[in-house]
Amino acid sequence: MKFSYFWIVVIILGLSFSANAQDELSSERKQAVDSLAIEKVRDLSKYISIVGSKETPWSEANRVIDRAEELFMSGSEIGVSSITKAEISYYSVRKYFERLMRLNYKKVEIEWYNIEYMSDLQKQPDGTYVGVITIFQKFKGYDAEGRLVYQDTTKKDITVYVKRKETQIGGRLIGFWDVLLGDMRVKETSK
Amino acid sequence: MKLLIKNAAKIMMFLLATLVITGGATSCKSKKKLAREKAAAEYTMKVEQSKKDLTAMLNGTTTWTLDEQDTRLNTIKSYNIDDAEVIDLISKVETKISKDRAEEERKAEEERLRLEEENRIKNTESKYQTIDNKLNTIAISSSTEAANNQIKTILTEFATPDVPVLIIISNAGGFNDYDRPTTISKFLNYLKDKQQYNYKVDMVKRDTLGKIIELELIKK
Repeated sequence: MKFSYFWIVVIILGLSFSANAQDELSSERKQAVDSLAIEKVRDLSKYISIVGSKETPWSEANRVIDRAEELFMSGSEIGVSSITKAEISYYSVRKYFERLMRLNYKKVEIEWYNIEYMSDLQKQPDGTYVGVITIFQKFKGYDAEGRLVYQDTTKKDITVYVKRKETQIGGRLIGFWDVLLGDMRVKETSK
Repeated sequence: MKLLIKNAAKIMMFLLATLVITGGATSCKSKKKLAREKAAAEYTMKVEQSKKDLTAMLNGTTTWTLDEQDTRLNTIKSYNIDDAEVIDLISKVETKISKDRAEEERKAEEERLRLEEENRIKNTESKYQTIDNKLNTIAISSSTEAANNQIKTILTEFATPDVPVLIIISNAGGFNDYDRPTTISKFLNYLKDKQQYNYKVDMVKRDTLGKIIELELIKK
């Protein structure tokens, strides 16, 4: 009987070691997770330019808003600034995209560049990796005559949360990295 | 006088016979000596040649194959040369040949495995190339409408629009690290939005009707 207990303990220890080994990141795996988080920010950039574009059909824009919402942790906010106003307004993700869809320009161009880590992903006591990614956004708004009527460049910081999770798919236990974006804070706005 | 002549003839005959016998014996003795000397010289030459060949094999300066080296080693061993240096060289060359042979076998096994893996990848590539091409078509569609039509066509190959799609982001250290699982419908629309297909199909599961029920991709 004692012998059976011994083996049960050994098996449990073995399984927990294996689970820990999968949670611990080698530099190669860490690099893949870092790239995954950057990729999610690039996805957001793409969604913003699709929704912002006046050529995007309404149904497509709504579908993209749904996808964009899935990138964020619930309750996240996006900061909006302007060179004409000093204050920065914060909106929920859906509200931000709905406002973006309704912007009063004939044509909108939004481009993100210099997307990079401001602070690397760091493991927190609860196992979540948290980092901050900085982006620069160039916004251009044109009127019906095709004239550039507004433009600004904004530096924004996006908090990124990465956590290892598990799910059952086709009878297999799949360990995956769940990347979620947090608040997007405006750091600087210039012409 | 007559007696003296008769005796002298006998003495001459005796001397002649002695000379012939002595001369023949001396000649036989020198032939043996020559043969011994020749054998000794041949042996010395054999020893020197053996040392030369064994040293070349040990230093790897010979162009012989391992089989040829083995044959030469066995020939040298068959000489039973009683020379400390040759005996030591034989032992060292034996060790070297067996090491080289093990290395050759290891390399051959590695090459076999490499070719096997190459063939496996080639087979997998050609097996899933059609699906890769179809997914890429969505990403490079000229318009949203064209991409949507492509999505409709491709979706008929899947059991449902909710078929799971798994994306491997890394397989370092023997673990498959995945992105958050998605569905085929969402993934196809994602390709349309991103206008990029940076993946490769790694695994496809089908039902009895041949419809895809699970798709696994690897990020390039």
